Amino acid sequence: MKLKGKSKAQIGLLLLPGLLIFCIFTVYPIIRLFWMSFFKWDFGSFLSQKFIGLENYRSVVTDPYFQTSFVNTIVYTLITVPAQMILGLLVAILINSVKKFKIGFRVAYYLPVITSWVIASLVFKYVFNTEGLLNYFLTNVIHVTGSNIRWLDSRWGGMTVAMLLGIWKGIGWNMVVFLAALQAVPQELYESAALDGAGSWQKFRYVTLPGIKGTVLFALVMLTIGGFNVYTSTKLITDGKPGHDTEVVLTWMYYKAFSTGKFGYSAALSFIIAFILGILAILEFRLMQNKEQQ
Amino acid sequence: MEMKKKNGMQALIYVLLILGMVIVILPMLYMVSTSLKPNGALYEYPPQFFPKLHEITLENYKYILSQRKFLGNFLNSIAVSVCTVAISAAVSSALAFCIARFRFPGRRALFAFIILTMIIPGTTMIVPQYELAVKLKTINSIWGLIPFYVAWVIPYSTFMIKGFVEGVPSELDEATYMDGGNVFTVYVHVIIPLTKPGIASISIFNFLTAWEEFPWANTVINDDLKRTLPIAISGFFGQHQFTQWGYVFALSVLSLIPILIVFISCQKFFVQGLTAGSVKG
Repeated sequence: MKLKGKSKAQIGLLLLPGLLIFCIFTVYPIIRLFWMSFFKWDFGSFLSQKFIGLENYRSVVTDPYFQTSFVNTIVYTLITVPAQMILGLLVAILINSVKKFKIGFRVAYYLPVITSWVIASLVFKYVFNTEGLLNYFLTNVIHVTGSNIRWLDSRWGGMTVAMLLGIWKGIGWNMVVFLAALQAVPQELYESAALDGAGSWQKFRYVTLPGIKGTVLFALVMLTIGGFNVYTSTKLITDGKPGHDTEVVLTWMYYKAFSTGKFGYSAALSFIIAFILGILAILEFRLMQNKEQQ
Repeated sequence: MEMKKKNGMQALIYVLLILGMVIVILPMLYMVSTSLKPNGALYEYPPQFFPKLHEITLENYKYILSQRKFLGNFLNSIAVSVCTVAISAAVSSALAFCIARFRFPGRRALFAFIILTMIIPGTTMIVPQYELAVKLKTINSIWGLIPFYVAWVIPYSTFMIKGFVEGVPSELDEATYMDGGNVFTVYVHVIIPLTKPGIASISIFNFLTAWEEFPWANTVINDDLKRTLPIAISGFFGQHQFTQWGYVFALSVLSLIPILIVFISCQKFFVQGLTAGSVKG
């Protein structure tokens, strides 16, 4: 529609509050982050920064602790994302095919999603403690391990607990999203597939999967971002211990900024993560679009 | 024969669903059961999933409820979450309305930036945001949390509400303009009433985001009385030599209650909010 002078002023007024908050508290920090990443910027010396070009980026990339945290984050994402999607889709298909208690199941499977990360992390820390419930069950009840596993005292033990938590907490979200997608697949397609003699697997492969492709892409992008965003669980479950073996990129960034005061280093690290996620999101969209054309 | 096979299949599906459900809610049940046990033992050995009947006690809850500071933490969380929800609903719906309906200069750049910030994890911005909070003197202030939370949820809220606005036929706008209405009247009398379910569903998620936010509040709030609930819960660690799990889980259970109320009473909205972006995508 055509804008008259008066309407323009009104639109400006409507936009103003949101724009102000967004620009001051999100856009400005992003620009500031980029700026900081080129300076030697230490906590307590806000006034004396020295331009050092790409030095922060170099020290991030060559830092063995960063490399460990990066590998941990990649492994976390590569395992938790497909696991959540597959289990969430499976639960959605099962719920979609029963006649009674649909809502009851949906609420129960959704409970972990609305449980805060802080609470869920503490519950898992408690369950996986060396003297905790899970070890007791494994060792003394079903006897699959000879002695208690020290889950939280090793790199992959600690990461396993964080990943199990991530999967447990993510199934419900995937279930709801896929359930909606399944209900949007036209019923006639299943009927005509049945007429053509398709079995359950073929129906899933040739009707369901193509029908929910958009949702799979949506979930993939959102969950990849979520995987890189993991912070609270590893912070509270292991706090990076032993050593800094179970750090993920964000806990390591946080540690460098607020425990050692290296703001410039942390800014460069944050920017690297943001950049990688941007590239990944674009790649995931491309990948799905290519498949669509085939 | 065919019928029998179908019934067998249905039974199997129920068994699978119930089995999965038990695994999913087991940790939650264990949390509740631990909160009902006496707080004496650090780690009981052998651990019991259910407390013995004669042991069940509300002493952990009594302790939590008798402490003034936890009531304060609870009220802080309520205040911060409610303000975040109200402000973000107002500003995001206004942004969404303008982006969906008018071609103003910078519109595409604004929308691109909104999408971009949805990709970047919020925690990566914590260093410059901390510096900003120092400059604005909002460190250690409950109210100082709100603008950061609002800014945090604006992109996703605007993106989702924009989808709902586009579902409103623009003929309705035109009719209102014909009747002498202006941009504000269209926003207040057409867009808001017709996108209410969308705004409601986004608001549930914004409430949850503010209610459970940990990294930022944990960074800027250091006063016991000014903490929000997640910080109070995690604060049981490091305070004493031993963690008092009974207290931790009693406070956790209490902090889950408002969330459960919000979700159960808004059941019908929340599925809509989750899926609006996904099915179309």
